[in-house]
Amino acid sequence: MNLQSVLAPHGPQAAEIAALAYILFAMAAVVIVVVLAALWLAMRGPPKIRERLGGTGIVYLGGIAFPAIVLTGLLGYGVWLTAATARSPPGDALQVEVIGEQWWWRIAYLAADGSRVPGANEIRIPVGREISFALGSADVIHSFWVPSLGGKVDMIPGRTTHLTLAADRPGIYRGQCAEYCGGPHALMAVQVIAMPEPEFKAWLASEAMPAAEPATEAERLGKRLFLAAGCGGCHSIRGTPAGGTIGPDLTHLGSRRSVGVDTLPLTAGNVARFIVDGQHIKPGNTMPPFRIFSAAELDALSIFLAGLR
Amino acid sequence: MASRRRLRIVAAVAAGVVALMVGAAVFAWSGIYNVAASSGHFAIVEAFLAFVMRNSVETHAMGVVAPPLSDEDLAILGASHFHGGCAPCHGAPGTPIAPVFRRMLPPPSNLPVAVSEWRGRELFWIVRHGVKYTGMPAWLSERRDDEIWAVVAFLLRLPELDAHGYRALALGEIGDPGEESGRELETPPDTAEASSACVRCHGAGERGPRSGLAPVLHGQSFEFLMAALEAYADGRRESGIMQQIAAGISPELGRDLAGYYARLPPPVVDERGADAAAVERGRLLAEEGDAEAEIPACMACHGADALPAFPRLAGQNAAYVRNQLWLWRSGVIPGTDAASIMAPIAGRLTDAQIADAAAYFASLSRAVEAGGP
Repeated sequence: MNLQSVLAPHGPQAAEIAALAYILFAMAAVVIVVVLAALWLAMRGPPKIRERLGGTGIVYLGGIAFPAIVLTGLLGYGVWLTAATARSPPGDALQVEVIGEQWWWRIAYLAADGSRVPGANEIRIPVGREISFALGSADVIHSFWVPSLGGKVDMIPGRTTHLTLAADRPGIYRGQCAEYCGGPHALMAVQVIAMPEPEFKAWLASEAMPAAEPATEAERLGKRLFLAAGCGGCHSIRGTPAGGTIGPDLTHLGSRRSVGVDTLPLTAGNVARFIVDGQHIKPGNTMPPFRIFSAAELDALSIFLAGLR
Repeated sequence: MASRRRLRIVAAVAAGVVALMVGAAVFAWSGIYNVAASSGHFAIVEAFLAFVMRNSVETHAMGVVAPPLSDEDLAILGASHFHGGCAPCHGAPGTPIAPVFRRMLPPPSNLPVAVSEWRGRELFWIVRHGVKYTGMPAWLSERRDDEIWAVVAFLLRLPELDAHGYRALALGEIGDPGEESGRELETPPDTAEASSACVRCHGAGERGPRSGLAPVLHGQSFEFLMAALEAYADGRRESGIMQQIAAGISPELGRDLAGYYARLPPPVVDERGADAAAVERGRLLAEEGDAEAEIPACMACHGADALPAFPRLAGQNAAYVRNQLWLWRSGVIPGTDAASIMAPIAGRLTDAQIADAAAYFASLSRAVEAGGP
């Protein structure tokens, strides 16, 4: 699968890291060939060579000097490369803020005029532009890693770390929290969706809008239930009284591809499943189960939520 | 020689023991022993049984630590429960033990006298665990020590109560409970007993609960009250007081009672002594929550527009809210669908937040909403 692989780079930063990986593989291959050859010669070679291999000179050369020089060189290259992906991006780079939370991603797109477009659990980026990520954490250490686009950077409480990424063609790239953060850490994934610039602009503009008024009777009932069941205590739907900031912003939940942080594809049925039985889908997540709805109410609520485009 | 004599002694003792055991078995098998309560015990047997019980209770209650019991709310709740749960067997000041229960063996203790022979922790142990070979049952719930302490708080005051003082504590202004609540609820006479049980603790009409530890039911939704009754009746919600009462309420009567309380306007709560700073902190928590601690605003679920599955908390007794949240936090959580939503949130509340929220909700009485008393 090329969805989530260091060896399938889809951006300049990822390509540099892939190149580093190949250089490391090649160096390792050379070293092991040399070591095996020395081993064979030490056992079966001509006496002169065996005498040489048994001397102290080979220890100074092959045991100290060679690894010191090679490893220092590789370390220097690795540090330089890491610094390069964390360098300040050009002024027109898109700024995206990602906060790791137990166990989801709080996202905000920062427009040039300073306005913020909140989102959650799915990142959309324009193709071919450098994206400057500001990474933070709300609770414990998380780590942001989208292998096909670039390196891994820790999200540390009380600090902001930076990462610059770019995708060179449209597609879906999967990321994963790469630092154990408790409970359902393994299910804390994220999809990064690279789209052509005009499509991205249109998407971001619609994402910045408040939620549309519900159009059907079921959606209207769903909205009433959402507000009356206290969902707004944790979740926001901009344009409604629901303004909670504890859980993911749901203003445009229907425009996302997954429910439960990349655990299920987004359908009304899966939204309903997560409301009632989220603890089985994502064990340990902080949303309590809402089993207080009748079947018809649950349908209406999930249709409303899945319809928030 | 000496060893042969020793052997003979051992054999004689063994034969004696076997004969005793066989004799006891024959005695038990024959049915000669009289188990009749009417026959009583020999004085020496009675004294021995009393000796065993006293020592057992004293020893087992040694590790029990009594909380402060001087709070009037505790004594009133304990007295109200005593009236329905204990007085039928034990009698009460002004009401001697009913003749039929005097024929039990042992007969129920005459509590106003007997109580003063025990320490508070010993009374707690007896009420919690019951007593073997007597009619005294164990407390219904293993996890509601808070209720048992309310009964103990009342029992400790029992010796000094006369008939009038007892009725004032257990029944308040209800007077004859059967008559009045029957009238108020407009239910058939056979339901008067159940409804008077409600009124004793929860009040009725314009009167709210007399003890701050009992919840205000006035104006709660019909659905919420029904769900609470059902959860008590089938044991998903634990209470030594409510489980027994709810189990005896038929579905029809339950609907009548829930409908009655759902229609009542909230009673005026006197919270003039409330700490204004705590009320203000509670208001912030209730309206905005504490996002840092992942505590949503209480009002998201407990406001006036919330689903009927959730309780309304405006005007609820502060002591009741505090006690419930402490219980929830310690894991005594009703097994209902609505409760599984609150359970993780209750676990995140600090003592201070519980006290502030309780003070705030209690301050939202009808009088305050109408612009002051």
